This record gives sequence, C-alpha cells and structure tokens, in this order.
Amino acid sequence: MGAYIARRLVSTVLVMAIVGLFVFLLLHVAPGDPAAIIAGDNATPANIAAIRQRLGLQDPLAVQFMHWTWRLLHGDLGISIFSDVPVMRLIGQRLEPTVSLTLVTIVYSVLIAVAAGVVSAWRAGGIVDRFTMGVATLGFSVPVFVLGYALIYYFAIRLRWLPVQGYVPIARGVWPWFVHLILPSFALGLAYVALIARITRASMLEVLAEDFMRTARAKGASTGAMLLRHALKNAGVPIVTVIGIGVALLISGVVITETVFNIPGVGRLIVDAISNRDYPIIQGVMIVFSGVYVLINLAVDLVYTVIDPRIRY
Amino acid sequence: MKTSRRSIVRAGLAAGAMAGLPRIARAQPATSARTLRAVMQADLRVFDPIWTTANITGYHGALIYDMLFGIDADFKPQPQMVGKYSLSDDKKLYTMELRDGLGWHDGTPVVAADCVASLRRWGSVDSGGQAMMERVSDISAKDEKTFVIALKEPFGLLLDELAKPVTRCCYMMRRKDAERPATEQVSANIGSGPFTFNQAEAKPGAQFVYDKNLRYVPRQEPPSGLAGGKMVKLDRVVWENIGDEQTAMAALQSGEIDFYETPPIDLIGQLESDPAIKVDVLNKTGNICILRMNWLHKPFSDVHARQALLYLVDQNAFMKASFGNPKYYRTVPSIFGNDTPMSNDENTDWFRHGVDLDRARDLFKQAGYAGEQVIVLQATNFAYMSNSEQLIAGQLKKIGVNAELAPSDWGGVVTRRANQGPDDKGGWDIFVTADSDYSHSDPIGVSSLSMAGMNSWYGWPSDDAYEALRRKWADADTLDERKAIARQMQGLAWNSVGTVLLGQWLAPAAYRTNVRGVIGIPEIIPFWNIEKS
Repeated sequence: MGAYIARRLVSTVLVMAIVGLFVFLLLHVAPGDPAAIIAGDNATPANIAAIRQRLGLQDPLAVQFMHWTWRLLHGDLGISIFSDVPVMRLIGQRLEPTVSLTLVTIVYSVLIAVAAGVVSAWRAGGIVDRFTMGVATLGFSVPVFVLGYALIYYFAIRLRWLPVQGYVPIARGVWPWFVHLILPSFALGLAYVALIARITRASMLEVLAEDFMRTARAKGASTGAMLLRHALKNAGVPIVTVIGIGVALLISGVVITETVFNIPGVGRLIVDAISNRDYPIIQGVMIVFSGVYVLINLAVDLVYTVIDPRIRY
Repeated sequence: MKTSRRSIVRAGLAAGAMAGLPRIARAQPATSARTLRAVMQADLRVFDPIWTTANITGYHGALIYDMLFGIDADFKPQPQMVGKYSLSDDKKLYTMELRDGLGWHDGTPVVAADCVASLRRWGSVDSGGQAMMERVSDISAKDEKTFVIALKEPFGLLLDELAKPVTRCCYMMRRKDAERPATEQVSANIGSGPFTFNQAEAKPGAQFVYDKNLRYVPRQEPPSGLAGGKMVKLDRVVWENIGDEQTAMAALQSGEIDFYETPPIDLIGQLESDPAIKVDVLNKTGNICILRMNWLHKPFSDVHARQALLYLVDQNAFMKASFGNPKYYRTVPSIFGNDTPMSNDENTDWFRHGVDLDRARDLFKQAGYAGEQVIVLQATNFAYMSNSEQLIAGQLKKIGVNAELAPSDWGGVVTRRANQGPDDKGGWDIFVTADSDYSHSDPIGVSSLSMAGMNSWYGWPSDDAYEALRRKWADADTLDERKAIARQMQGLAWNSVGTVLLGQWLAPAAYRTNVRGVIGIPEIIPFWNIEKS
C-alpha cells in the first residue's frame, strides 16, 4: 500500500508538470497582452512597451517558461502582474470561501443524494422514485447560473429570507457563514445530487437483486439493516467513484457559482485573471486545481480498499 | 405509517423552527449608516493613477490623493492643495504656495518638494502633462511650502491640465514615491487625500476599503466638482467587486450595497420602478462612442474610404442597438462632443445628410477598393462595442465591402489593435471604443483627437495641418481663441476623418434613496460630501 501511495504521489507531480507546461503554452499562444490592459485605454504604444519591458514579457517564451518553472520548483507561484501581490497569498486569501462552498455542497449533496438513491431503489417505480428521478433530470438540465438567478430572485429579493451575495468568513460566526452558503451551495450541488442519486439508485437496484439480499430478508433482517448494512455497502464502490469524479464537476461549477453569488473564492480569482491575462495567477490556480483533483482521485482509490477489502494495490 | 400524538408534536416543533428560520437568516449585520458599500464600473487592479489611464484607478486616486487644483462644477480650475498662487506679467512664471494643514497619511507633512517630484512624474507620461513639460524650463521648490513652474513660453492651459478630472489626473504623491519612474508602479497607497487606504482589509479582486482620513483639513468653500471643501461624512467606503451585473442589481435592491455606478442600461427600468432606489446621471456630459480605422493599410489608408464610413453610420441606430432608451442617448456631430466649450458645427454636412449607401459605395470605389478583407475587431464582453461592431460590419457588407468580424474579449482587442501590420499578419481595420464627452474638450489631453501619424493613438491618423492647429490651440491665451481654432480643427478633421463618432450616451448610476450628497462630475466619482441616513 505504501509503495502504491508513493507511486501515485510521484505520478501526481508528473501530471502537474504536464498541466503546467500545457497551461503555460496555452496562455501564451492565446491572444491578449496584460501590459495593454494595465496601461488603460488611453495609453500610447510607448507606454505599453515600457510596461511590457518592466514585466519581462519581452523575453522569449522559453526564457519566461524557465523562470516560471524555476520559481515553481522553489514553491513560488509568482507575483500577480496587476496587483503586485504574491499568487500564493492571493490563493490563500481565496481558499476559505471555495473550500467552504465545496465542502458544504459535498456534505449536503452526498447525504441527500445517497438517501434519495437508496429510497428510490427500494421503492423503484413508485412515486418517490419518479419524483427523485424527475428532480435528478432537472438538476442535470438546469445550468448553475439560471438556477442561481432564480434562487436569488425568489429567496433573496422576493421573500428576503437569505442574502443575495457575498461571503462571511467562518471566524465571524458559523451562522452568518452558513447562511451565505445556502443558496450558492444549493445551486452548485443540484447537478451533483442528481449524478450521485442516479448512480446510487442504479447500483442499489443491482445489489438488491442479488441472492444474498434474498437470504438476508429470509433470515429476518430489518429493512433498514438490509438496505444500509447489506445493500448500500456492496453498492458503495461506484458511488464513491462518482463522488470523486463529481469533484471535477464541482470545481468547474464553483467558477460560475462564485461569480453569480459574488463569493470571493479561487473560482472568481481565475475568472478575473483570465480576462486580465494575469498569467501567474492563471498558472498558479490551474496547478493548485489539478493537484487537488489528482489527490482526490488518489483518496478515492484508497477508500475502495476500506469499502471492499478484496481490493488490494 | 402510523400517526401518533408524539409525531404531530414533533412536526409542529419542526414547523415552528422553520418559520423562525427566515428571520434568523436575515439577522445579518445591516450596512452601517456610516459605511457606504459601492459597486464600481470595474475592479481596481492597478493602484498607481499615473502608471495607468484606467478610470477606476483615477477614482482610487481621488479618494486617497489630493490635487493642486480641481475643476469646479462649471469646469473651471480652482485651487485645492494650493492656497495662494500667482502668475507673472509675462505669463511665464507660476508661483504656488501650499495651504496649511496638508499631511500625508503616514503622518509627515506635504512639502513643496513632494509636489515638484509629482509634477515631473505626471508630466513625463500624461499627454496634457507632456504638453506642459515641453514648455517648462524649470519646476523647483523655493521653500517648504512654495514652488515655481517656469515656462519657456506662456501656456494658458496649465491650470486646466493640473485640475482636469480625466486620467491621468495630476495627483500629488510623496517625493519618495514620485521619484520612481512613471513606468514603475507605486503601490504604497499613501496620499494626502480625504480617505486613507485600508491595507489590512484589502482583498484584491473582492473588496477595497477606504477609511475617513481624520487628519484631513478640507478647504472652507462648499464642495463643487473636484474643487471646494472635501467634507467626508462617512467613516468608511467599501468597494465591492461584484462582477455579475444581475447580482449587483439584486444586491442593490435588497440593500446589501448602497451604490451601483454602472447598472446595465437595458435593466434601468427595473431600478427606476423601485421606490427605494434613485437612478441618477452623475456625468451629465456622458460618453462618446468612437470608431477607429487603421490608416496604415488599404482600404482606410485612402481618405475616400474613411469618408465613406460617415455615410454608413446612423448614430440613432447604433445607440438604440446598445442603449435602447432614447432618454439615455443622443447624436453627436462634433469631434469635441456635445457639451464642451469647444463643441461646434463646422463641416458637419455629412451629419445633416444622413446615411447614404450609394454615396458610401461610390467613395469606396474612388478609394480603389478591390474586395480586400476589412477586419472589424469585436469585443464580445462589452455589449455596446460588440453591437456597434456588428452593425458597422453589416453596413459595410450592404455596400459590397468584404467585412469580417474578429471576435475576442476586450483583452484580445487591446492587444491586436496595437499591431501595425496588415490583416494577414494579425492586423486590423476597425475597432470601437469610447471616450468621455468631457475629455473631448481638450484635444491635447485626449488621445483620440491626435493626428500625429505614428505618434498618435491606435489607427495612427496623420494630418499635419490639423496637428499644427492642435499645437496652436494649446498655445492660445483665451477661451475664445481656442474656440475659434477648434472650429478650424474640426473643419479639417471631418475631411480627413481620423475617428468616426457613433453617438453619445449617458450612463446613469443607481443608489439607495437614503444616500445623499453625491457630486456629479465627469470621469470621477467623489465620495466626499456623501452621507447616509
């Protein structure tokens, strides 16, 4: 197991290196000049050239890439071209809102989706099943921003129950923190709930049809024990897989959700950086996102061994 | 499922808790009566108002820095940091004395040497400042509070340039900051203005916080434009960066923010119908939408092709496509805008004539147009630019011109427009942008009114006779002289066509009705004098 984890960690570094090279080339091939954006609309070409010189953007691409890689190997993601603030600090400032939004979304989504999937499978073809699958289809079909605006209009403007936008750090109180996350996490999580609920239902239906389930029922196991202890545990591997895969869905959804609900997270950071062509921020965030994604996949692989002891690496 | 009394009691308690939830959820701190939360036109990305011409950085400058002079509500320069000043009889020597009570946010006093360094830095990059520096023989401090500006020849616009609200504004900085080259950003954010920058609360990309400068000594005169007493009636101004327009509007309607500088104009009706919100045009002179052509390559290297565009543009149609409500747009025939002292009607027959496709087609023929591709840069993330660019491409196609849109975001446009090469080498032929109407009162200060060939702004228009007049305009002593020269300049400008005007629009701001005292001037949103009840 230890050797497996070590191998995976080494491959994580390789994946991140490939991501880094890809992102760097993509950014520098794409049109756009941060110096022109910094200088403002009335700036003359001479003003822009001076800023380009100052930022080192006149250097050949290979030289710029080597500088960036060298700094990266020393744990330095660079300095924002615009704000002059280290990228590491900017990401650090934005991490809490994004982690909060993602965690709240994952927790509520998994709880609701797994429960809904189990009940749907148990009562397959019934009203609850049809309702759950209907909501799941809706969850897949409605884009995050449409749902977000609808939620804002109804719950924040019409009913005035919840805030429209913004984020309150958890240090300033758990309740205000949570209240500001209700609408965004609901908007972000609906597709995730739909995904997990459908997989849970399908996986549970398969397991419920197994012989050992009939045996358990014949032995007099209660419905709860049958569903949770016997069926859900055996249906767990695909569910954990889809939870892991769904994190990618969440990461892309976070970018939109943070924009709609004005949450100052890493998603907003990268959106703003892209429109500004703030290369160090884009590169830094992409590296962090890809690292997180690779590590989550590793964690999912390790969880398999807990759910199914027959799996060994 | 059995229903028991116990389950009914449980359900009742749960329902009671749910009913209380909304009140609990709304029990969040209301915005304080001494704090103004504002969403501005853009996110503040650069802190140095001399390093960039970005308007939002100019706003930031107005909060934390002060100016030697400021324009008043009638656009006349008035002393601000300067207490007394004099001009010698030969009009070549200005002597300026700083008023009492000026101090930097770090606690040190403002001295004349700070202003000398600031003037030199500003004069090295600002076009109006450069015009001043061309005529300056010396700027030096006489003592702690007095400095002089000695000129080689009289420069009647000097005070106007020092007082202008157009970026780059002539903000005063500490000597150690101002001695840095203008190509290096100053990000210390230490000024002597009415607000201090709260570094600890700054979250780039999310919010910036400005606190009342308790040591600031305002002038005694009532506030007027950038002149008069900058009386601060708030403890704090918070700039929230809400990138999404719908969300910002919802936040304003729900009272989470107090001020929204540029609500989307197509949704203004929704705000106008809300009794808790006031919609107010603060910059009464508005903005002019302008179209630039690339003079370096065919077809627009030929004057006939440029003149043809004048007969393709129906300003009302362009404005309607982007701004909808005629209450907020107008046509504009003068290169100096509608509402400036230089506005005039010289050589505007094309405007009175209106759209004439046949004439435009003929003019393209006279230009020797032979089906070359015309690349129209399309900035897809700015509705007014994108709409205008689609319209002009459509008009060109109607007369048989091979126009092609090149869509990208604004970042892509600003990069590509700097390319002086032909279309097949990544060049361009047309792009659209905007200037404030007020900025067109100063042909020295606004880049798009220069026609100095390769030394002029994107499009690189060239007209020596016009340039000679522009210089003469800067040297003129009186307003009447400048007005007369402006007429001559416009006469030439509409012959050679450096820029095509697409119309003027007014951008209303929206704020809660409990916000009062907002000063409306072009280019800057001053936060002094504002109070909340």
